Amino acid sequence: MAVLLGLIVAALTAFAACGGDDDDDDNDGDTTEATPMAKAGDLKIYDGWARTTTNAVSAAYFTVKNSGLEDTLVKATTNITTTVQLHEVITEGASSKMQEKAGGFPVPANGELTLKPGGYHVMLMDLKGELKEGDTVELELEFAKAGKVKLTLPVKPGPGMAGMGMGMNESMTPGAGMHGMATPAPTAMK
Amino acid sequence: MNTAALTSKPRLLLGLAVIVVAIAAGLFGYLITREDEGPVEYFGAVINDPVPMPDAILTDDDGKPFDLRKETEGYVTLLYVGYTHCPDICPTHLYEMSEAIKRLPEKTAEQVKVVFVTADPERDTPAVMKAYVDTFDPNFIGLTGTRAETDAFQETLGIPVASRTDLGGGNYAVNHAAYVIAFTKDQVAYTVYPSGMGMTEWLNDLPLLVSKGFAP
Repeated sequence: MAVLLGLIVAALTAFAACGGDDDDDDNDGDTTEATPMAKAGDLKIYDGWARTTTNAVSAAYFTVKNSGLEDTLVKATTNITTTVQLHEVITEGASSKMQEKAGGFPVPANGELTLKPGGYHVMLMDLKGELKEGDTVELELEFAKAGKVKLTLPVKPGPGMAGMGMGMNESMTPGAGMHGMATPAPTAMK
Repeated sequence: MNTAALTSKPRLLLGLAVIVVAIAAGLFGYLITREDEGPVEYFGAVINDPVPMPDAILTDDDGKPFDLRKETEGYVTLLYVGYTHCPDICPTHLYEMSEAIKRLPEKTAEQVKVVFVTADPERDTPAVMKAYVDTFDPNFIGLTGTRAETDAFQETLGIPVASRTDLGGGNYAVNHAAYVIAFTKDQVAYTVYPSGMGMTEWLNDLPLLVSKGFAP
């Protein structure tokens, strides 16, 4: 009996642990409530970084958490180039394209604006030199309501922990990998 | 009476034990099915019609001819068509692949080749390709060619041939297929890895692609 009860306890524990995984997504905003890189009114900016490059282009990413009314990121400027655009990536069928996001990036009321690979990014063009790991980039963001805010971004080859920026949260089970992602059109692969 | 009383207790215990076992088995069964929810063990998106490695000769990042079928024979080849002025999807794919390969056992890693073919040959000369791919992994192979060659290559792969979006001031973006095509050692691709898949998916799939090819 003791063994069997032990098994049940083990099973229930495993079950609870298993069920717990599914709830992780809900905690996203709260668990990373570290010190923001910058603040402007009701907006707090986290996890900013810019990408290493050997060419004249790079991209900057960050997360804006909003505890107030909706706002819009209308403009970004930087110390490393005057050619800066707010870009979105659009995937149509098997092909992805990148273009300026008309009107800027919306920051939902009491929500988040997330810039990440495959979605929104601040496009930096006509750079004078390479960006290497360890460099920093000064970025000034202009929000329609909250105004301007400056932040200093570290330069990195990727979001930090490889995998975290892209697939990690969306899919942990093989075969379920296509959930919520930009999917190719397999029929185009003739 | 006495014997009956004596046996009833063990029977009761046995009955309880059966119930407990049934509950436990049910729970474990549930756990097992939960874990098995995705019966496919590959993260890669399965292609309806597998794609053979194109029979193409392009120019490598040292400026030398690169015979794709010959150079990738016997390897798992992760092929990606992009461009070096790509700030977002291309470097993310290359970075995620490089990080995954670093974490693989050496014996597995050495059976994987990563080939990055440009869709922007006007800007991506062999020297530009080399400087770019080397920042991810010096073993990555960067390929370029003439516009006709790189367009024909994309057609052979069955992916949309890249087009341009003008970004003003002489800058342009290249619209291209945003997924990595994985060829197994038989030089046929059965799976692709769209934007959104990264190190986690590679660390699961690469050892499988190397050890058993594609056999779901």
